[in-house]
Amino acid sequence: MTDPLALDPVLAPQDRARLPFNEADLTHDERFGHFEEHVLAGGKVESTDWMPDEYRQGVLRFVEMHANSELMGVLPEREWIMRAPTLRRKLALTAKVQDEVGHAQLLYRVAEDLGKPREAMFEDLLAGKTKFHNVFHYPTFSWADIGIIAWLVDAAAIVAQQALRDSSYAPYARTMKKICWEESVHIMHGRDVVVTMVTGSAGQRAAIQEALDRWWGPLMQMHGPRSERAKDRDIHWRIKAKTSEELRQEFLTIYVPRIRELGLTIPDADLVLDDATGIWAYGEPDWNELRTVVTNHGPKSEERLAFRRDNREATQWVRDAILRPMASGAPPRSSEGDGRFGAEVAGSQAATS
Amino acid sequence: MTDQQPPDRDLDAASDGDGRTLEPWEVFRREKDGDPMRHGGSVMAPDALLAVHYARELYGRRQESAALWIVRRADIHDLADPDLLQPPLDRSFKKPGGYVMRDKLAAARQQSGQAKPKARSSRPAGPAGTADR
Amino acid sequence: MTTTRSALAASIDPATEAALDELMLSMADDEFVIGFSDSEWTGIAPILEEDIAMSSLAQDELGHARALYELLADLRGDGQTADAIAYDREPGDYRHARLLDHGRGDWAMTIARRYFYDTADGTRLEGLATSSFAPLRELVDKIRREERYHVMHATTWLERLARHPGEPRERLVAALEELAPDAATVFTPLDGEAQLVETGLIAEPMTALEARWRATITPLFVGLDLPMPPSGDLDRGRTTHGEPFRWLWGEFTSVRRSDPGAIW
Repeated sequence: MTDPLALDPVLAPQDRARLPFNEADLTHDERFGHFEEHVLAGGKVESTDWMPDEYRQGVLRFVEMHANSELMGVLPEREWIMRAPTLRRKLALTAKVQDEVGHAQLLYRVAEDLGKPREAMFEDLLAGKTKFHNVFHYPTFSWADIGIIAWLVDAAAIVAQQALRDSSYAPYARTMKKICWEESVHIMHGRDVVVTMVTGSAGQRAAIQEALDRWWGPLMQMHGPRSERAKDRDIHWRIKAKTSEELRQEFLTIYVPRIRELGLTIPDADLVLDDATGIWAYGEPDWNELRTVVTNHGPKSEERLAFRRDNREATQWVRDAILRPMASGAPPRSSEGDGRFGAEVAGSQAATS
Repeated sequence: MTDQQPPDRDLDAASDGDGRTLEPWEVFRREKDGDPMRHGGSVMAPDALLAVHYARELYGRRQESAALWIVRRADIHDLADPDLLQPPLDRSFKKPGGYVMRDKLAAARQQSGQAKPKARSSRPAGPAGTADR
Repeated sequence: MTTTRSALAASIDPATEAALDELMLSMADDEFVIGFSDSEWTGIAPILEEDIAMSSLAQDELGHARALYELLADLRGDGQTADAIAYDREPGDYRHARLLDHGRGDWAMTIARRYFYDTADGTRLEGLATSSFAPLRELVDKIRREERYHVMHATTWLERLARHPGEPRERLVAALEELAPDAATVFTPLDGEAQLVETGLIAEPMTALEARWRATITPLFVGLDLPMPPSGDLDRGRTTHGEPFRWLWGEFTSVRRSDPGAIW
């Protein structure tokens, strides 16, 4: 017996069917106005709703970069699966990296349902037209890196992802809930590796500190430069709810004490909490480094993109024969056909009927 | 894959999908026995056999589901037409809220001189005439 | 005496016990080593969904390896942990089948190797399903339940590649031919296996299990017009591993060797 409400959990059926921006006989401007009002009031958007171009493109860009990051994020860690020093760590790391591929799958599915085929997204990623997060452009040198990444990089990511669970784009919000649940296990695995090494041999402790020294800069850059809330279009459309700075502060508040309690030193002499305001002051992150890295000039950017390109070519015969991508994007189901869905997006590879 | 398949659902043959082109397949999951099926997400697969395999991976590899339904998105019929689902004329006679008797009951009680009965827990074989609200 | 040891019949002599140790080590090493090649597809499998599926197969194998190493550690009762057995040996002391020394290769090679291994392992596990050693029998029962999924995946892919004329089929046939000399090395005869059979630890000797395995896969190979691997030389099928494994060993032991005795 299925629960009919389970398929449309976000709004009661009556309200969804009556949403004014879905009325085809209104003008574009009228629909835009209704849509904006709906979203600003906290309303949610489903893949089958009418959307203004700006919204659709904004969500797609956001989700696509997230998907790209999950996929590229596999590369720094995958070579350590082979080197994991115990059976349990090997299982845990394999499962963690598998989850990242799983997250990429979930996110590319969300993006595909907005009209861009998966293959087009891979092509754009490998051609450098779309981006992935800075942290995945850096090398890993030791098992200690694996601990630091699984703990702190995933923690910084989860701070952002938790804030996205209420995104106006409902398919993305639902995916974020699943991802957050899965990520919490990764952070525990990472922290376990770090704590084990910190309480282990002198060499292990030193390796963790050295890894932290290298990763701190990219971590502080990860959420991005400060931006004005009022000028942020992604915040305007409620695609995301928190600014870069809010996320960074949240990360510092939770994790600085947890890092320090292990006896580790954070390599920023200017990092200090103002007890009165609860706000952290810190040495200014190197925004030039961030810009350089995310435009694919990071230490490992080109090598990793080339690795993916080569392997994509090497498996092309499988896709050509047996796992052929759909000719156009994968449209969501709609009893009214694809025309409405495809018409709004200029220049994208939306499905056509 | 399971022993409980009805005989006409032969998963060993590529029954749905052309076997070569990826399509979306929706995955519904039952969290635990007794729960309803809820939509979980979708996988891309060329046919039913691999769709079932991938559904297990994405929605069951952590032992988080008691059961899964997998269906080709193209086979789903959906209905969202407000004229059919929320037709405009009154249908309150189909809902409890369409039967408000408070005033009429008050008038009847006044007429009969009886107070509103107290609510009782149900018990077998009570005396006739009690618990009639 | 551990509970595990006490499950062994008192009548088992040291030679038979040594043969049992060798059997379990060979199974554990098989499951451990196959995982390396499979894990190499992480992030780069033909489609994302297949990436996730291959990773689950690798994790299952590793889980089986872990359970077998733990049972072996219990049986030996000399304080060595499962991790120590898995990691702290010289390359020449590993007992996995030579089939698994072939590199990852392309998708067809991976499917061919998995097909050969999963079906052979399936036959081997059947031969242990009634083992007189209860802890092994119980573990085998659990492993067999998980392996059904593996055989399903390998079989559907073997069929898909075989039935697709042109590049897919050509690559599959090339892979099968390359693996052919080593395909049956899972059934390399073990020292002392006659005693294993006599004491009911395993139902049949390896040569009989190999014959069963061939009978199992022949109908599918005939139906798909694929070349059956020839019978033949299983000599040292578990003891000659060569340079690729030596390199792999260097990698998978590198972290442990960087700080011997450390807890990870």
